[in-house]
Amino acid sequence: MATSSGQVGTPKDAKVGGAKVGSQIGRSLPRLEGRDKVTGRAEYTHTMRLPGMLYAKIFRSTVAHGRIKSIDTSAAKRVPGVYRIITAEDIRTVIPAPYYGPAFHDQPILAVDKVHFVGEPVAVALAADPHVAEEAAQLIVAEYEELPAVFDEVEAAANNTLVHEELKPAGTFADLKHLKGRKGTNVALDFKLRRGDVDKAFAAAAHVFEHTFHTQKVLHLALEPFASIADWNERGVTIYSGSQGPSFVRTEIARLLGWPENRVRIKVPYLGGGFGAKLYIKMEALATALSMIVRRPVKVALTMEEQFYTITRHPSTFVIKTGVDASGRITARKCEVYWNGGAYADVGPRVTQKSGFTASGPYDIDNVWVDSYALYTNLPPAGALRGFGIPQLVWAYESHTDMIARALKLDPLEFRRKNLLREGRPQATGQIVRDAKLDAVLERVAERLNWGKPLARGNGALRRGRGIAVAIKAVISPTTSVANLTIAADGSTTLYCGTVDMGQGSDTAMAQIAGEVLDVPAESVRIVPRDTDVTPYDMGTLGSRSLFHMGHAVRLAAEEAREKIKAMAREVGEPEGSNIPLPDLFKKKFGMQAGNIVGTGTYKPDYVPPDPATGLTDKVTPFWMCAASGAEVEVDTETGHVRITRLITAVDCGRPVNPKIVETQISGAVLMQLGFTMFEKMHIDAGQVTNASLADYKIPAILDVPQAMENETVDSHLSTGPFGAKGVGETATFCVSPAIANAIEDACGVRLTALPLTPEAVFRALRAQANKPLADDA
Amino acid sequence: MTPFELVEPASLGEAIALLDPEDAGVRPIAGGTALMLMMKAGVFRPTRLVSLRKLARLNARIAATSDGALTIGAMTPLALVERSPEVARIVPVIPRAMRRLSNIRVRNVATIGGNLAHGDPHMDLPPLLIALNAEVKVVGANGAQAAERMIAVEALFTGYFETVLAKNELIAELRIPPQGRSRAAYLKVTTGSAEDWPALGVAVALESEGSAVKSARVVVSAATEKATRLKGVERLLAGATVDEKMFARAGDAAAEEAECMTDVRGSAAYKRELTRVYVGRALRQALNSDGATR
Repeated sequence: MATSSGQVGTPKDAKVGGAKVGSQIGRSLPRLEGRDKVTGRAEYTHTMRLPGMLYAKIFRSTVAHGRIKSIDTSAAKRVPGVYRIITAEDIRTVIPAPYYGPAFHDQPILAVDKVHFVGEPVAVALAADPHVAEEAAQLIVAEYEELPAVFDEVEAAANNTLVHEELKPAGTFADLKHLKGRKGTNVALDFKLRRGDVDKAFAAAAHVFEHTFHTQKVLHLALEPFASIADWNERGVTIYSGSQGPSFVRTEIARLLGWPENRVRIKVPYLGGGFGAKLYIKMEALATALSMIVRRPVKVALTMEEQFYTITRHPSTFVIKTGVDASGRITARKCEVYWNGGAYADVGPRVTQKSGFTASGPYDIDNVWVDSYALYTNLPPAGALRGFGIPQLVWAYESHTDMIARALKLDPLEFRRKNLLREGRPQATGQIVRDAKLDAVLERVAERLNWGKPLARGNGALRRGRGIAVAIKAVISPTTSVANLTIAADGSTTLYCGTVDMGQGSDTAMAQIAGEVLDVPAESVRIVPRDTDVTPYDMGTLGSRSLFHMGHAVRLAAEEAREKIKAMAREVGEPEGSNIPLPDLFKKKFGMQAGNIVGTGTYKPDYVPPDPATGLTDKVTPFWMCAASGAEVEVDTETGHVRITRLITAVDCGRPVNPKIVETQISGAVLMQLGFTMFEKMHIDAGQVTNASLADYKIPAILDVPQAMENETVDSHLSTGPFGAKGVGETATFCVSPAIANAIEDACGVRLTALPLTPEAVFRALRAQANKPLADDA
Repeated sequence: MTPFELVEPASLGEAIALLDPEDAGVRPIAGGTALMLMMKAGVFRPTRLVSLRKLARLNARIAATSDGALTIGAMTPLALVERSPEVARIVPVIPRAMRRLSNIRVRNVATIGGNLAHGDPHMDLPPLLIALNAEVKVVGANGAQAAERMIAVEALFTGYFETVLAKNELIAELRIPPQGRSRAAYLKVTTGSAEDWPALGVAVALESEGSAVKSARVVVSAATEKATRLKGVERLLAGATVDEKMFARAGDAAAEEAECMTDVRGSAAYKRELTRVYVGRALRQALNSDGATR
């Protein structure tokens, strides 16, 4: 097995079978699965059916925090065609400790004794007809003794109302172990970073600024809602699931069942979107427990509406304080970030820690203090959503940076230039920054915006302005990817890798990497659908990690296969550098069309965990993701409506493996974040989501695309990346929100500090600025 | 969604007999775009749906009379209305409004009769049809006899998703009277995605002579419980001189008169301010011969 860690160079002019390598990387190859998808042939869990399968429909809590006094299933059981009604009591007969989660084992398969948020699964109706199951689920009645609930993250940090009596860290992550058994707290993780002496620096600073920013609760809303089918028997369980992380699901289901992993098989067809929602356990544990109870295949497929009660993005409160010296240099920055994790931790503590590394932004600051808190509240859980917390942080620090520049009458671009983290300088964690094109993305956007040149400011009620923002992210580390590759006796290549193609085009990119090494066209490489019986371990398709980590694993597997081809050629007496066709080589070796070459690759980058006291480490991330966005807006000052006339985004994704796919990743990420910026919001009243449907929760559509949307990559080559590449799934989300808010202030002089930037919010700010605040009805 | 009976009667009498004046679980279904949403959400759980698609009396048809009136069969899909040359000639404001009304998939299926009978205050056509003084022909049972009556669209709505229609009455036809020299505009105001339901709809139709307004009809919707004529604003406009001051006065009067409600699309206070601005803008647009919109 070929294993590599850390530094990997790019193979230069390597030759396979006599042909020059270099033709597959950089190709805008159309997505390999595209035709199957648009012709309706691609398989999705949501539309799969197994013989004898039952459908599960979930009965959910109507209170935000309460003790379950009784569950009356009698009316539901009388519905003709109902197979069975299941509660937590039944679950515990097959899985005695039915709690799961990647960071904490805190989430029950069905609510046990208590409910912790409105929408939490409490009971399930099973029937062969999904409509019957739904009818029955609606007839289940539960009585609760209501308990005090807490919804706001800052209130939760005061620990006056507790969501859980005791913390239950999973033990997977070393940095959470100290929380085991902790009582009397809603804090699921407190990450600290301490660099220099901020207090001393604030005391010495010429200017000190402090602002508070908020983000709202939003969600992923994949167009294929969560779906899992479990088929259990005493020998093993097969789970079909729309999962971004089949390896984790296998490990966690094996743990719940007390089985070795090889009795648990996870099969993942294509996903109709994921965006971080379909990580870790979602419907898989429930489907498995139900199948164990009834000994038939069981499908749990949610409606679009139920997605609002499953996993969301963290709302946040960010108090940020910055000291600036007389020359305009930032000397100190203190960040207090409160993450509203909802009722179950999911991966929230990791979001809290990993985003904490870069909470102080893409700036070279000697004195940094970060406190990042993961909080439990009585809301639907929050997890990873296209950016792992970074878009919330950038929203705050890049709005704050602009506010400082304006207060000091400095040009916002100049102020950023002056403080930008440069190549070779230490980032807040202490890691030296290499191959991070922060300056390039910032300068490119500034150039496209015609920064420094006059802008037509509009007339009458319409006011125009422009804004800019720049950001950095450390990729989640340490994580591991494994890939296998086989070459058949006819020379054809098959790739086995666990990266889930959920629409981001990873299959195509991996085929291009394998094709590059083996000098075969990417479209001739067969990618085996994800199946943990077949495809090897991968940590998960998340955090823009796959192209780098799995890309390396695929490269290593292909390189190993290439070496074996050479060895086979030597073995059969071919001269060095022979370009004998592969079928002939196999025939020469095996006497007929027979045999295989198997290559395998494992990749795990170097990582040094942060010092628990200071959060410092010189190896926090294998690469940096960099982005800048610029916006031009037109504000209707009579109504507060904001029209985005230009939205420019430049990213550093290293060398683009597939430029066309990179372009769609950038535009998709920009538009997704545009919705989170301008209007998306889960409206919540006493814990109840009041707009939980696509009728009342709108995501951006074609008419919301900015008049001009310009996306590009800057010239970059990651020296440690597979063929120079970095991931790009999240990068373009980072800067959209503050770029627009900065442009709004530039246009009409009002500063918004909470998302979304609705017309009403702009209007109210304008009225407040004019000293005529809009009075609400009594 | 639980199983229910779907019937497709071929005659109007049969359809009306299949409807039940007492049973809320029995409803007629036309395009189904609104009803299906309610069924999926579990808000409406039918026992029987009476499909109207085979009823010749309600057929998709658009006819113009010689005096410039339009009749449109209740089952006419919105997309046909949008693309009809007669509609474009007589009431060009309708195809203009259609462009931002729902999306092309919905417009291909949703019907003009269903759009009115549903009583949803967020629909874009009802306020416009009120401003155009349109009426509907309604068929129902009168004992054993089929009965017909005409109802002004303005009088159709009684509240939030409520109409004067009995549960066994059907809209058969929409009639838009000749518009003469009247000019009209409809503005849909969204506060979220451009494809969202409106936070406010404003429709105006007015006749002017020289620089004086002869008569005006001003309707607001979406922000209010139902599509509502602002008669105080109309009185203010009658006889007024067309100028920026008039637009501002009309806007102020509209903000005063409209009973706005708070929801996820905005507070009542904000929607009043939108009303203030957009009533003026709608009037300006209607009076602006080049029809430019902002």
